Amino acid sequence: MSNNLTEKAIEVAQKSGATEVIARLTEGPNYQIRFSNSNIDIIKKWDNSMLEVFVAVGKKITQVDIQDPTQTKINEMVQQATSFAKKMPDSELYAKLESTKHTYKPIDGLYDKSIENFYDKAPELVNVAIQKSLDVGAKRVAGVLYFGKTNTEVKTNYGNSGSYDSSFYRLTIRSFVDYESSGQDIVVGRNMANVEKEFSIAGEEAGKLAKMAVGGKQGKAGKYDLILSPTVAANILGQITDGANPLMMLVGMSPLGDHMGEQIAPENFNVVDNPHISEGLGSRAFDIEGTPTSKTPIIKNGILVGLIHNTTSGIMMQTESTGNSDLVSFGSGSKFLAPTPTNMVYNAGDYSLDEIIEDSKKPTIYVTSNWYTRYTNMLEGEFSSIPRDGMFLIEDGEIKKPVRKLRITDNLLRMSRNISAVGKDQKQIFWWEVYTPTFISTIKVADCNITAATK
Amino acid sequence: MMTEGMDIADFVVEYGTKKGADYIEARYVDSREEGYTTRNGALFGGGTIYSKGIGIRTLTNGGIGFCSTAKLDKDNIKKAVELAIKMAKASKRKEPIIFSEEDIVQTKWSNPVKQHFEDISEEEKMEFILNLDKTLKNQDFGENLVTRTLMLSMDLHKKYIRNSEGSIVESEKSLIHFYTFNTAKGDHGTEQRFYGQAGAKGWEWFKENKIEEKIIQDNHALVKTAINAKEMKLGEIDVIVSGEVAGIIAHENTGHPSEGDRILGREGAQAGESFYIDLLNKGKLGEIKLGTECVNLIDDPTLPGSAGFYLYDDECVKARPRYLIKNGMMNDVLLNREFAYKFDTKSNAASRAMGYNREPLIRMANTYFAPGEHQIEELFEDVKKGIYMKSFTEWNIDDRRFQSKYVGLEVYLVENGELTDKMVKRPILELTTFGLFGSVDAVTKDTEFPFGHCGKSDPGQGAPCWMGGAQVRMRNIRLGGK
Repeated sequence: MSNNLTEKAIEVAQKSGATEVIARLTEGPNYQIRFSNSNIDIIKKWDNSMLEVFVAVGKKITQVDIQDPTQTKINEMVQQATSFAKKMPDSELYAKLESTKHTYKPIDGLYDKSIENFYDKAPELVNVAIQKSLDVGAKRVAGVLYFGKTNTEVKTNYGNSGSYDSSFYRLTIRSFVDYESSGQDIVVGRNMANVEKEFSIAGEEAGKLAKMAVGGKQGKAGKYDLILSPTVAANILGQITDGANPLMMLVGMSPLGDHMGEQIAPENFNVVDNPHISEGLGSRAFDIEGTPTSKTPIIKNGILVGLIHNTTSGIMMQTESTGNSDLVSFGSGSKFLAPTPTNMVYNAGDYSLDEIIEDSKKPTIYVTSNWYTRYTNMLEGEFSSIPRDGMFLIEDGEIKKPVRKLRITDNLLRMSRNISAVGKDQKQIFWWEVYTPTFISTIKVADCNITAATK
Repeated sequence: MMTEGMDIADFVVEYGTKKGADYIEARYVDSREEGYTTRNGALFGGGTIYSKGIGIRTLTNGGIGFCSTAKLDKDNIKKAVELAIKMAKASKRKEPIIFSEEDIVQTKWSNPVKQHFEDISEEEKMEFILNLDKTLKNQDFGENLVTRTLMLSMDLHKKYIRNSEGSIVESEKSLIHFYTFNTAKGDHGTEQRFYGQAGAKGWEWFKENKIEEKIIQDNHALVKTAINAKEMKLGEIDVIVSGEVAGIIAHENTGHPSEGDRILGREGAQAGESFYIDLLNKGKLGEIKLGTECVNLIDDPTLPGSAGFYLYDDECVKARPRYLIKNGMMNDVLLNREFAYKFDTKSNAASRAMGYNREPLIRMANTYFAPGEHQIEELFEDVKKGIYMKSFTEWNIDDRRFQSKYVGLEVYLVENGELTDKMVKRPILELTTFGLFGSVDAVTKDTEFPFGHCGKSDPGQGAPCWMGGAQVRMRNIRLGGK
């Protein structure tokens, strides 16, 4: 597909004086269907074709994006980028690229060719999901479906190169019975075989949850055990595992700074960054430097054991790259190389949601969705987040009533240490509030702080 | 190169009309985004991202289709137009989308620039940001700033928009923004702060707006807070907030719920809906009380030099100030053409897209608490016990925009009518929108306009906005707790 565009970019950069170069070409259409009030609002197609070129001249670095790359654009823009890099001071935050030559074991299941014809039936499937939700009692249904295919090709000046095709879909569906009674479900994956059924079930589940939320009243502030749905757990606990990243530590955005080797979760709790799952939206066989990807334990038996790395952060912290290098934006303008997570996988537990609810004898709140997680202090992990959609008070092992208008105001590490049960309902979460593909179950946390407006 | 883009946009409209589009618009955008980021005096990265492409949006058979592409050859453009029309038809809506009727315009706008940032050498820009970091480090308080992340960004967006009704708007906007995300260490822990400033100007913005001084002052305050602030149990008190805090309140508690698409559910699965719908089902604009008489909130894209500056929106509608709350009453909502029709009125030009590959949506521009009659000292005078919240850290609000939280950062105790130097650690305003606006009894004459990127939609579109205004006093507030 590339007409050797990646090779051309490397050649131009090297001729201009670059000592290290990465070229990554991504191509393929992506689509979106947005809907609300049970109608499709807009259908979009993005015609994606992007060449990203990272250039190092010694330790002077920069990067350039070339949209719809052609030989002419590559000549002009890569030369320009290399000249620019020469003006930069040496970067204290760059060491080198992966220089060992590798071959890669492909990951099965990243591409389902039926994505190519999916566009024609997608609007109808969205309407089926909407109808399913209406059938179980929803009055209005909103949501978004993304899908598409991408061909990714990476090449470096050290001779590492690889390419792969991938398909994906992700549906968020949010149903309303009235303005304040709502429920949401999410389905995410790459294999299109069961999407029709999955979309229908998601519509139904969102509708049922919205119906359960009807009649909810203002809840009371105080201490509660919380049952976090996979959606909520991925957002809140995901803030911790996203912090297992030297970049986040460097800028003061991780609560994990001095906790390596410490017990930060119960003994049976394990989290791995796993790039090798067929359905995982973050899966890849190699990173942008051409380093083969690997499974990286982050939390083992409740102890913080690992961080993700690229070549530079590995050298800085006297360890090896874990194959997590990618181009990262920080502010606008150019991107730079830094570790990024692939799929964060939290081990599944033994309990069903019903069992977790039945075991909840203390006042407990079941939170099914949340948004707007923000920090008072990211190093300390002091945060709050706002539940949205169905939220339910549980007393004596039973759901007693829907509640509303509460806020989780707590500390990330305190919550992870207080995990008291893990469900067996592991699913992949990736949506508006969760940008790292996360495989996670329902998780119960003891003694959480819940607040409400004072006026 | 704009000419090539203009020709393509003209072709889109002609071809789309020929192919049966009821309405079609082409938005060609030529962008240059240059940025530099430092961490503790070392450059993380720097460079320029150029992009040129076209967004094609059609309203056909009551549905909307949108295609974007950077491949600007006619064959590809024809395919994109045909697909956009096909997608619009595939929506099969029960209720067709209709756009409000608007004036046909053919015009140009730009923001005045004295010194184009593109003409400043890259070396000078790097030196500027590295020197600013050095300046912070060398201040008396510099040792306490243990982590310093500085982000300098300069954007130049040239746009050409043409629609099938005959409107054409050509624009050029230069925007410079600067963020810091720093950590200060005191004896008992750390405090962190995101701080942003931006102006639609050229490189002269730094000097004319004394940006360096503002950044130094802000970091001094951060260190002072980390060293001096103490937790206090204060009970029910009066709260005076700066223009920065009043601005985020204006943005979150009024700007967002005023967005017509949220009110009528279009953001239901993303940024959420709006509590305004409950009020508008029972009353009318101009007759719904949201706060006391001294609450006046404005969203104004036409403020010269502002981050959210524009004179015509991305649907070719002429911009004007929107008086969202007037004397405590809900007065206006933010509309694009789709939602103006639903509200049975004209658009007030709130439609913006953050790139050629994004659909235009209803967005705020510069939302602020309108000035009142008082000097800040007068607000302290009859406060027996209160706090003066000059800046904030954490904030959030529910997705109907009613239950909000603002955590104070630089906060001083006010006692017996006087501002003291006693600093209060992380006081929390956890209040409903009515709780906030219903407690306001005085507003100052002076204003300030900090900057932020407003987040909305899926895929997210960060819109540059000022959010600020006057300083505001609220009576009888019980602080939120842990």
